[in-house]
Parts: sequence; structure tokens; C-alpha cells
Amino acid sequence: MQTALRAFEMHFPIRYLFYLYLMYRFTFFTAFLLLLFTSCKQYTDYVKSDVTYYVDDDRPQNYLGKSEEAVFKVPIEVELIKRENNTGTLGLQVSGFGAFDVYWDGVFVGSNGQMAKFGQPEIPGTETTYYQIPEKLSNLGKHIVTVVGTQTEFREAGRGIDVKLESFLRLHRAPLIVMSFMNLMAGAFLIAAIYYFFLYINSTRKEATVLLFGIICLLFFCLLIIEYVKFYVDIPYNQFYTRLQIVGALTFALSMLVPWYFMLQFEFEKKRLFLSLLFISLIVIYICYYEHYDITAIYFSYAMCLVSLIIATNAAIRKIKGGLIVVVGLLISIVVNRYIFYDFGLFIAFTIIVLSMLYLHTIRAKAIEEAHNASLLLSSRLQLELIKKNIQPHFLRNTLTSLIDWVEESPQQGVVFIRALADEFDIMNSIAEDTLIPIKEEIELCRKHLEVMSFRKEVCYDWEEKNIDENEEIPPAIIHTIVENGITHSLPPKEGCIHFCLSFTKEKYHKEYSLLTIAKNRNRKKDGSNGTGFKYIKTRLNESYGNNWQFDSHEAEEGWVTTIKIFTKK
Amino acid sequence: MKILIIEDEARIAKRIERMTRDFFDKDVQILLSDSVENGLHTIDQNAIDLLLLDLNLNGEDGFDVLQNVVARSFQTIIISAYTDKAITAFNYGVLDFVGKPFDENRLSQAFKRFTSPEKQPNGDLQFLAVKKGKTIKLVPIKEIRYIKGAGIYTELYLSDGRIELHDKSLESLEKLLPPTFERIHKSYILCWNEADKLVVEAGGRYNMLLKNGELLPVGRSKYKEIKHKLI
Repeated sequence: MQTALRAFEMHFPIRYLFYLYLMYRFTFFTAFLLLLFTSCKQYTDYVKSDVTYYVDDDRPQNYLGKSEEAVFKVPIEVELIKRENNTGTLGLQVSGFGAFDVYWDGVFVGSNGQMAKFGQPEIPGTETTYYQIPEKLSNLGKHIVTVVGTQTEFREAGRGIDVKLESFLRLHRAPLIVMSFMNLMAGAFLIAAIYYFFLYINSTRKEATVLLFGIICLLFFCLLIIEYVKFYVDIPYNQFYTRLQIVGALTFALSMLVPWYFMLQFEFEKKRLFLSLLFISLIVIYICYYEHYDITAIYFSYAMCLVSLIIATNAAIRKIKGGLIVVVGLLISIVVNRYIFYDFGLFIAFTIIVLSMLYLHTIRAKAIEEAHNASLLLSSRLQLELIKKNIQPHFLRNTLTSLIDWVEESPQQGVVFIRALADEFDIMNSIAEDTLIPIKEEIELCRKHLEVMSFRKEVCYDWEEKNIDENEEIPPAIIHTIVENGITHSLPPKEGCIHFCLSFTKEKYHKEYSLLTIAKNRNRKKDGSNGTGFKYIKTRLNESYGNNWQFDSHEAEEGWVTTIKIFTKK
Repeated sequence: MKILIIEDEARIAKRIERMTRDFFDKDVQILLSDSVENGLHTIDQNAIDLLLLDLNLNGEDGFDVLQNVVARSFQTIIISAYTDKAITAFNYGVLDFVGKPFDENRLSQAFKRFTSPEKQPNGDLQFLAVKKGKTIKLVPIKEIRYIKGAGIYTELYLSDGRIELHDKSLESLEKLLPPTFERIHKSYILCWNEADKLVVEAGGRYNMLLKNGELLPVGRSKYKEIKHKLI
């Protein structure tokens, strides 16, 4: 015989929560939170029940007959020792497979499903059922619970029949309490999932982490719902394992996705290696503990925690923001998981992990906001740089000096010079605020600049275009910058002109501008590819085309070639 | 007289050339250069007296050139659009800084500085550039105790006892140095802070006793002026 304490020794979280609720009715929530962070070993000291009883501790085994249709009959002795006052009607909980009728001291108290009868197939009952015991029969002393029924499926499972006595009211109320908390959590995750899906759909960026986080929240919501669906849906016992399989599959998926999410979020390097290692170990766990549903889920979560911890520690070492928070979160969830039995601890652990993911997400959102601000700043800086091209002292003062000379020496030419200068200023002014301008305007700007420069340098500059498509657009002043470089780096010819030729080609996947400067090059001391002019061009290309461009500038037989390739499709 | 103009803008170079010719009349030979490389080459090939230098030459920083040329014997006048660099240029020891755009008057003023024997202190000189092998070393003005003429060179006597050779003549240096330096003899320029007292020797020779006990000769023609200044 076993004492009634057996009820408390079982780490059954629902009971546990229920008892906790009884003890700390008013400060329940605080206690619940505290529990997340403390060991819960001592809880048996606090737990009280209103019914004390003995039950035959030899689980009825092998009570099934040889034939499938055979009716089984299992008598279970219980001895009611003590009942608290005012606890209401006595309740009986029976856990077992099959379709059966339950008798209390030979009196029929209820049935679960419908047992097979002469050609009528069995209507399977559910796994856990509750029965009310008539008050006149619930006096102290020995009683016999008799379960009579059939079990046509899962006969090989060898599950016994469990009975438990408790006040009828409490038997029904306990799941409600658990459910209220679990549904609260599930609702939060459902909302989060929906929110992140919307966020993903409406964002132009289409970040994988957002989608992944949404999926994780949704899966977690499903996990919670499926886990506790047993309390409000009567699952026929022959579908009992289906629920566990779904729970297993969801845990499997979550165990893959959570580390994956951390890898993306922390830009972990060996993604594929670790993901495949994780996948293999999950499969191995699945095979090794096949049909041990709870243990499988626990080991899944261990694997997930371990890999996540490695990633988060790695991130913390690399001093990535949020890395340390996730490490702490994971450690807490491991502690929780260690001290609280699976179906509860796991959810709390998951909640902590998802919360730390949520936190990561806010960090990410902040980073994106900052990047956005930086890009605004950059575009205004580029505007400024463009305007500065014409008012920087080197340009302005040299131009003015030449201008004075022209006005002093040949006023008529001076006027032409002033006109060209004014035109260049006009164009610059009109394009200053745009990120893309029609190619026509860019060419006009280059022509005016060459006119101004020919007055200053007294060199003849010649401009030619090939195959220009007037509908095309280009970031402002980038060809202008290449022309400026061409002027600076070309030796003035003894006779004739320095020749600039802009050509355009359009292919299926890219378009290309190429500016050929035909002149003798000056010796360049420094490598020209990092000058401020080139930086300006590259920043402008980045601003408008992201990474889909190529810029190249090199010496050619005739002079210098600069090409800008813009990819239209990746 | 040889004058080199380093200027990359043809029109401006012509303008400077014209104005220079107008100022110096016929006794001037003008060389033109449109890049750093050509300019340095011309300086090596010709013994020039004056350099007119632009600070930005086809995108190359003229300060590289400046550091190279201020150690030479000739004087340098900067003609540049970067007027904000004037102070730095003076620190390196240029004779004048003419900002662009400029007119004939401003350029003539700079040329007068070059031609007049008188000291026209600009007070901004911080260093004297000294050639050491192939590199240029900047000697802080504060460290110079006195300068002794030695033929076409000068010797800088420094407070730590070292002596550095400088390519500019005493006359050229006198124009550049701040007012704390005084020409006390045809071969000596002294920093006033080092002077202790005048000593008259038998035979009417005048010497300046320095704070560290050294004696420097004082020119007969300078004596009165110096005596007046000391009092």
C-alpha cells in the first residue's frame, strides 16, 4: 500500500500550481513570478489536500483479455482516511485507456465512451475522466472502484488505470487555473506572431529575422494550445498519442528555429555547420527516445538551449549588443527547466527565451532607426558636397582670378566666361536636392564645366556622346566628377583638344556608362581610386543602387577610361 | 634674376607672369611650371631667386612642395586660393601669402617685400626648414640662439648646442625672422632673449656677451642702435 502522499510526490505541475493557488490565493501572481527564479524542491511541505486516502499501489496490469472484444474488469481498492470539512462532493479521477463504466462500491457513477458490444464497435473514451461520488457512499473507510470496459486499440501500450480522489470542485477547477495562465501566454504569442507577420509583409526590407520571429511566436502559440487542448476537448484515447506527436513536432521545429534566429540576429559565422549538427542531434534524439514523448521534448529543448547558448556566448564575446542578455536569459531558462517538470518548465523557459528574442528585436529596430537617420544625414551631406563643388575656394577663387584676367584683357570673352559660369551654377542649383537626375542634365552640366575650364586652363576641351538614352537617370554630378578628374589628370596637348567621350550601353542585366578621356596622362603619385571625388561617386551610387553597381577607373591606351556599371537585375 | 612660377591654371600663370614682368622690368627671367614634378625639376636645374607657388596643383597638395622648398636659399611667395592656409604657410617661413583672386597692387606689394632690404616681419614664422640629407627637418624658431653667416649658407646655433646649416642667406633670413631677432653684425643675427650686455674691448671693438658667456662681435655701424635698444 502507498500513502496518499503519492499525489504530492508526483511532480505534476497542474496539481502543483493548483496547490500553490490554494496557499497563496492573494499573492499568487507574485509567487508565480518568484517561482521562475527559485528552486521549487520544498513545495511538498506546503501542499495540502482535502482528501487523504490509500490506494492499492500495484497498478492493475495485464487486465486486458486475450481477445480484442473481451471485456476487462479492474477492481481498485481505496481507503478513505480523512476528509476536510466543507469540501463538498467527493470526486474521482480515472486515467486510463479504453471505453469503460466506473462503479464505486458497485454503484455506477459514470461511463467513459461506449464499450464494444455484440457487433457494435467501441466508442473510445478519453484518457482522463472525472466522476462524482454520491455523498452517502463517500464515508470514511474502504471502498472499491471497479472499472469495467473494453480496449480495442493500443492494447500493447500496457498503460494501467490510475484513480485519484479529490473534492469534485477542485478536480474541475485545477485545469481552469492552469489554462488561464497558459491561454494568457498563448494570446500574447499569437498577437506577437500576427504583429510580426504584418511587420514582415509591410516592410520594404523583408528581413528574415522578422519572419522567423513571427513563425517562432506562432509555433509557440500552437504548442501551448495543443499542450492544453486536452482540458477542453475530449480526445478519444486512440488519438492520445497524436497530440503528443504534434507537441513533439512543434518542439522539434522550435528547437531548430530558435538557434537559427539567434544565428541570424548575431551574425554567427558557422551557420550551416551548427544548424546541420543541431538537426542531426535532434534526429538522433528522436530515434533514441522514440515513443518517449516527454523525454524527447526535454532533450530537444536541451539541444536547443545548448546551441543557443553557444551562439549567444559567442555573440557576447564578440561584444554584440544583446548577446549578454540572451546568455543570461538562456541560463535562467536552463535553471527553470532543471527544477520544474517538463510541460511547465519548458514553457516558462521558452517564454524567457522568446522574451530575450523580443528584446533583441527592439535593439535591432533601434539600430535600423539609427541607420535610417544616418542615411538621411548622408544624403544631406551629399547634397552639401555637391553644392560645395562650386563654392569651394579652389574652384571659386581660381575661376574668379581667371575671370578678372579675362575681363581686364578681353572683356567680350570675359562675358562669355561669366555666362558659362552662371549656367553651370544654375544647373548645379537645380540638381542639388535630387538623388537621380536625367542624363541630359548631367551632360549639360559637364559641357558647361568644360566651357568654364577651357577659359581657365586655356585648353580646348571636346565633348562627344555615343548612344545616350535620354530617358535614363543618373545620380547628380558623378560624371561631372569624372570629368573634373580628367581635366586635372590630363596633360594639356601641344595641339588640338582634350577629348571626352561618354558612351552608354544597355544589356539585359546591366547598363553601363563609360567615359573615355583622350589625352596624355600626368604621372599620378597617389592611387586615385580613393580620392574624395571617387568617394563621392561611390557614395552616390550606393545611395541610389545599393550594392548593384561597379565602378572602375583605369589607364587606357588613348588616355583614361572610367566605367560605371549598374545592374538592373541580380 | 630668375623667378619660377608654379601654377596649374594657364590663364592665371600668364597673369602672374605679366605682372611680374611689369614689376621687375627687363632684368628678369621667368620660368613657368604647371605641376609639382616639373616645378621641382626646374628648381634643381636652375638657381632661382624667387618662387611663386600655388598650393593646389592638379589635386596635389602644395604643402609637400612647400616643405621641400622653404629649406632652399630662395624666397617663396605663395599665391593660392586657400586663404585659410596662410597662417600655416607663414609658419613654414614663406615671404608672403597672396590670396586669389589678386590684383596687380597686391602682387607688387609682395614683390616689394622681396626687393626691399628692410626687415618686414610677419611675426608668424615658427620653424626654419633645414635640409638633412634628403629629408627636411623643421627647427623651431624658439630654439635658435643666434645665426652666423657662412658664405652663401648660414649656421643656426641652437639652444641645445647643436649647429644646423641653412641654405638661405643672412639677408633672406633677416626678412623672415620675427622682431626678437636682431642683425648685430654683418655675419650675425642674434635672438634678443640671449643677449646679456655689451662689452667694449680695447681698440674700440664691440662685443655682445650672451647669457651663457659666449661673445659675439657687434658691427660698428650697428653699435649705437643696439646700445639704444638694450637700454
